[in-house]
Amino acid sequence: MTVGMINANPVVHERPERAAHPHAAAALDPLDVFDTVRDIKDPEHPYSLEQLSVLSQESISVDEKLGRIQYVCCMLTLYPRTPFLHLITFTPTVQHCSMATVIGLCLRLKLMQNFPPHFKVLLCFPASGILVIMTC
Amino acid sequence: MASVPPGEWVPHVEAYVDVSRPAAQHSASVDALATLVNKDKLTLFDLVAKMDMYLTTTDHILRSRGILLLGELLSRISDKWLDVNTITTLSDFFISRLSDWPAIRGALVGCLALLHRKQGGGCIVIADVKRLVESFLQNVQVQSLAAADRKLCFQILSCILDRYPEVIKRMDGEQLYWICEAIDEEKDPECLKLSFHVVEVVMKLFPDPSGLAAQFASEFFEILSKYFPVYFTHGVADDLNATRDDLSKALMHAFCSTPYFEPFAIPLLLDKLSSSLPLAKVESLKYLDNCIRFYGADRMVKHASALWFKLKEVIFSLSSEQLLLTSGSPKDAEKNKNQMVSEALNCLKTAIVFIDSSDKDLFINLILFDGDIENKIHSILSAERSILSSVEDLAQVNALGSVISILAQSSTYSCTRVFQEHFTHLVDALGTSTDYESRQLNTCNGSSSTSVNYGALYLSVQMLSSCREVALASYADCSSIKLAKVSWWLILEKKLDRLIHLLGSLLTIASQSMHSVLRGEYVSCAVKGLLTLATFPEQCSPLPANAYEDILYMLTSVITSKFENIDLWRLSLKALTSIGSSIVEFNASQKEVIYCRTVVDNVVSLVESYDGSMPLSLRLEASYEVGTAGLNYMLRVARSLEGAVVTNISKANGRMEHVTQLFECYSSRVLPWLFTSGGINELALSFAMRLLDEIKYLTMLDRISSQGFLDSLMMGMKLLVGVCTEEQQTLIVQKAYSMVSSILPLPLKSTHHHLAVGDFVPSHSVQETSLVGMLSSVIIGLRPQTPVPDMLVMINLFTVFLLNGKLPAAYVLASIFNKYLHNTEFSHENQLDKILDDILERCFSTVLANSYSKDKSSGNILSKIDILSGLAWIGKGLLMRGDEKVKDISMFLLKCVCSDEALASEESYGNDSSDTSVAKSAAGAFHIMMSDSEVCLNKKFHARIKPLYKQRFFLILTPIFLSKIKEATSMTTKLALYRAFGHIISNAPVPAVVSEAHQILLVIVDSLAKLSVSLQDKDLVYSLLLVLSGMLMDEKGKECILDNIHITISVLTQLVSYPHMMVVRETALQCLVAFSTFPHSKVFPMRRKVLQAAIKALDDRKRAVRQEAVRCRQTWCANFAGRPF
Repeated sequence: MTVGMINANPVVHERPERAAHPHAAAALDPLDVFDTVRDIKDPEHPYSLEQLSVLSQESISVDEKLGRIQYVCCMLTLYPRTPFLHLITFTPTVQHCSMATVIGLCLRLKLMQNFPPHFKVLLCFPASGILVIMTC
Repeated sequence: MASVPPGEWVPHVEAYVDVSRPAAQHSASVDALATLVNKDKLTLFDLVAKMDMYLTTTDHILRSRGILLLGELLSRISDKWLDVNTITTLSDFFISRLSDWPAIRGALVGCLALLHRKQGGGCIVIADVKRLVESFLQNVQVQSLAAADRKLCFQILSCILDRYPEVIKRMDGEQLYWICEAIDEEKDPECLKLSFHVVEVVMKLFPDPSGLAAQFASEFFEILSKYFPVYFTHGVADDLNATRDDLSKALMHAFCSTPYFEPFAIPLLLDKLSSSLPLAKVESLKYLDNCIRFYGADRMVKHASALWFKLKEVIFSLSSEQLLLTSGSPKDAEKNKNQMVSEALNCLKTAIVFIDSSDKDLFINLILFDGDIENKIHSILSAERSILSSVEDLAQVNALGSVISILAQSSTYSCTRVFQEHFTHLVDALGTSTDYESRQLNTCNGSSSTSVNYGALYLSVQMLSSCREVALASYADCSSIKLAKVSWWLILEKKLDRLIHLLGSLLTIASQSMHSVLRGEYVSCAVKGLLTLATFPEQCSPLPANAYEDILYMLTSVITSKFENIDLWRLSLKALTSIGSSIVEFNASQKEVIYCRTVVDNVVSLVESYDGSMPLSLRLEASYEVGTAGLNYMLRVARSLEGAVVTNISKANGRMEHVTQLFECYSSRVLPWLFTSGGINELALSFAMRLLDEIKYLTMLDRISSQGFLDSLMMGMKLLVGVCTEEQQTLIVQKAYSMVSSILPLPLKSTHHHLAVGDFVPSHSVQETSLVGMLSSVIIGLRPQTPVPDMLVMINLFTVFLLNGKLPAAYVLASIFNKYLHNTEFSHENQLDKILDDILERCFSTVLANSYSKDKSSGNILSKIDILSGLAWIGKGLLMRGDEKVKDISMFLLKCVCSDEALASEESYGNDSSDTSVAKSAAGAFHIMMSDSEVCLNKKFHARIKPLYKQRFFLILTPIFLSKIKEATSMTTKLALYRAFGHIISNAPVPAVVSEAHQILLVIVDSLAKLSVSLQDKDLVYSLLLVLSGMLMDEKGKECILDNIHITISVLTQLVSYPHMMVVRETALQCLVAFSTFPHSKVFPMRRKVLQAAIKALDDRKRAVRQEAVRCRQTWCANFAGRPF
């Protein structure tokens, strides 16, 4: 017997046209972070997290105030709020989406590979009531 | 020809027949046999006799291999002549084998090879083809075979159809039915492509109405229709010989092959137009377009109304159903829709043109009296001053305009009908120009926000442009249009005045602040309308001369006064240019006079005026653009630019910064345009002469040089002289020379006196320097054939200036030696050689003398550096013509590069700064010699350029440099040598450098490491890095790098954190990515180092570097798996 999917019919959003990075300034900004994680595929569906609107650019904030000194830790914070609201609306019986941890791990690995080690990654899943602080 | 003993070739046969051998060996043995046969070392008879057993055995596998061998062999000797007997025997054999189904592949290959044989080399006789077809149809069940065999069958069929159609023509219904069966249910794309072709040709073979094609049309079409629309998702990478486009095209040709398909095809296609798949719609529109052309008017007439209704649905997007979007963004959807509409319009156009023949009112009645169209036009007319509210409205109006204009364009008659029906109402709906002016006042007061009826405006402009098309089509007999009692011409003439003034007032309104979102649409519509009216061919233009002038005046006044509205300004300028070129195209003399008077005069006067309100760049753009309309106009523009330049120079209060811009426009835009269109003639000559006249006064020279204008003046002069002919150049150079000799106190009249070593070098004033600069720019532009007066005197003069460190003198000397050395046309060829020696010696001694004298004033050093670069220029001139003397110069420069080593042994390190700068500029001199220059010594200035001179120089100098680098002991010398050699490497062609990779790789790597320390060498580091990355891309270079991989990667990882230049870091990371294709065992030990560098670069200041670092890290992590850190 096949195990049922947690969310069998997700709403797929149009993928906006990709252009070059709009900000000429070379500093690290949320769009940089978003660019690295937008293409991660959902564990259940052949769509990217962006298309499922699990992630949006607005839900990312980068604190670069402390970033200029290399050895002071910066907080690189991701707040994927919308996704889990969205998942819960579709599967109201599942309080705690089991995929959240998998997605979290994917995000963590990707960020770890793409950003220097002194960045701390903070992933929050407010809807499911978990706060995961992952340090790399 | 001696034949080869059987022992040598029989093993090939055995190898082929043995199924257990690999495929490569099979094809190798056929090739070997084919070569033997082609060289007449083996006869087919011998071969067949030996192969006897393989061809006739009862073992299916062996027999099929044997027959296949014979077939393959036959296909590889297609160019060899074979006699009739052989051919007949082979045909008999293969035809009989068609019935042997276990061995059918060989028979098919053999038959195909026989059919493909060319006429001259012995080919199959027609009776055999007939037998072949009979046997083929009787024995081969195509659909029961494998895909490759089916492909062979279709190839045989289409080959017979293409080359022996008479055989097929005698076929009966049963045999045609066999073809139906053969292609039915086919799924392989390559076979399908062939089978579509087969159907196409078969249907074309039986054109008469009682023929087989008419009988079998429904059967064939039933098979074909299953494939429409072709949906095929394989990409290019799938290694198939067929793409979707190919298949779709083949199917389309099959559809269009015979008119007997019409009763089946047209309903199918019309039906598919209502499909929700965008692909199906576009395909059916394309097919319909072609079918209409091929089926003919008689057959299509009955479909006309159905066709129009369906097309209307597509064009106006009437069907409410949502299109299925398989993928893509809203932008893709939009693109799809636009493509559909444009295909539909195309199809409508074809339909109107091709179906019209029988009843010319057919489409007019269908379209003009269509309920939807009438409603739309009515709503446009009635909407009181309708403001365009949304994008959908705009699209609807556009679609309506396209339909109407396609209808009107199709013929004079339909144009007249359309005009009768709608034009008058539309123009009336636009209101009058006085209306606008009054309303404009209201708008300014802010009391009302009225606007123009855009729909009516757009439609009337569309109709104007279509009647212009009609006029162009009936260009020859315009009189008939004018004389006809009822014609569009008369209708247009009545409304003309009103329309022109309406459009004109729109321009004025639009240029003021008009707060409509779609202002751009109004403006472009109005300009388009005016443009259309003004470009009617002269004979059938409804426009009287004064109205024409009015239009030109309106547009010109936009150019002269409304430049703040840049969109309108550009549009008007473009319109004026098109009007100008249409005058040239139609050869309209009367209009040309008006155009010159109204447009060209006004626009050109912009250049001459001193009015500061309009930016000069716009004024120049306007005059250049208007000039591009025709040669005469451009000549006017050129003359006025010339005048403006000269008056600005001569006036004491002239604006020099303006002159620079004017001159640049003249030399970089106008001059090349005139040069390509061949209208230069005396123009450049007279300009150059006038310039020379102006600068003969010393006060003038003073002003020029004091305001930094000399450079642009010299560049312009070079370009002017460069485009002149030899005779003109002679005149210019003589004038320049006489001028200089009258002003300068020339102590050099004695032609035999040369400046000897140690003579005092007289210095000159600023004005004199400028004067000599101008003279030098004249000489630089000369052609090699142009004689130069008193060349020796001039050379002396320039030498003095060179020794004073004036670079223009170096340019001119380089040009002279490049062009005139060993020129037999000049009597003083030997002298020139000797003079060159003298000059070089003098330069060498000056540099050396200064270098070793104890008192080093800074002025000395500066001029010494200038002399060094002067030497480099002369060296470049010699190098480009391939003269041997360049060796002397390069050796001297090399000596200078190493000079501080000699110095270090003599003196203390205390004051060696001057010599390092000498060494540095000597290193820079190699850059001058190797790089291309805009200033002189290029194609524009007629330099002699020997092919591959850079490569040769590089190859000569490489061993010398390598040994010098080896010998060098001090670090500074080594650095200077690296710099010099780096310039040579980075400017030499990459293939040449790569071929020497084994010698110079280590030098490059070491230079990168050493030069990356200082900020000044950043450009050099970058170009060397590019050379290295070029090596990485080359197989030979890769081998070489592989031997030194450790050091190379170490240096690259250092460069990843190069602080001075972003692109260096980026390129270094890209090079590291390229290393991942190297053998695993070699690269793996370097993994840790590279990853560390990449991780460090993740924190780079620049985004591009960070992204490249991510890529590098991922490549290395993925390819050389292990711990990620």
